[in-house]
Amino acid sequence: MSDEQLIKIILSGNKEAFTTLLMKYQLSVFSTAMGFVHSKEDAEDIVQDVFIQVYRTLSSFKGSSQFSTWLYRVTLNTSINFINKNKWRNLVTDSGESLKNLFNRSNEEKSAHQNLEAEERDVLIRKAIEQLPEKQRMAFVLSKYEELSQKEIAGIMQITEGAVEQLLQRAKQFLRKKLIMFVGN
Amino acid sequence: MKPDEYIDDFIRKEKQEQMNPFLATKIMAEVEALDSIISPKKKISVWQYMTVAASIILIMIMGISIDSIGKQTKNPNSISVNINDSQIENLSCYISENYE
Repeated sequence: MSDEQLIKIILSGNKEAFTTLLMKYQLSVFSTAMGFVHSKEDAEDIVQDVFIQVYRTLSSFKGSSQFSTWLYRVTLNTSINFINKNKWRNLVTDSGESLKNLFNRSNEEKSAHQNLEAEERDVLIRKAIEQLPEKQRMAFVLSKYEELSQKEIAGIMQITEGAVEQLLQRAKQFLRKKLIMFVGN
Repeated sequence: MKPDEYIDDFIRKEKQEQMNPFLATKIMAEVEALDSIISPKKKISVWQYMTVAASIILIMIMGISIDSIGKQTKNPNSISVNINDSQIENLSCYISENYE
């Protein structure tokens, strides 16, 4: 059944159809949210917010674009709002969480030193992604976490494909610059 | 390893993160609570507005006409005024000595 048909059925009051839609897209929304918040719990909160928002505003979906495109737009906006809302909380918990991860992880294969290095690197990558400008971050997350084509990203962000390519290039350069000090060439 | 490979490795690890399997059930429970919100607001048509306005006007006309009928049938001479209200509250009953 197509998304448009599902939406029609949902709007007629059938909640089972909404469950179908939810099951179909929840992983995509979760994965995109993970790209922004890097925390399972926060990503799940975003998934919940996104689908409740979708349920509330589904009647306003005109169908001029694909449902998935509209859903990605809602996900991006919800994720950005979530980050802005929890900016201060993240500053406090960031350092604590990374320390907790370091002490909790036991890996037989890697030495303690290697573990420490890997953890530090992950924190650095996460922080570098978080420092990306908003548009670059959106394009980067959609490209890397959702593996969408530049055309699809352009449709979601309502910009040209050339602009998407430029954003991705800049994001890559930015991340390389940030990481090169730590990992070398 | 190059920086790009480290980034890809980091993303791969994040993508492996499993979602709570009960999240869909939780969301559906929230959706159930929002049940009334999804249905688009019913538009009130013009004829419904007209009906309400017409019934208000009708009630006003009926009120005025009933009032005027009352005025026509009213005879000013037939008004009786009970000036002597001593019967209403006959205090003598209470103050008479035989009352007890």
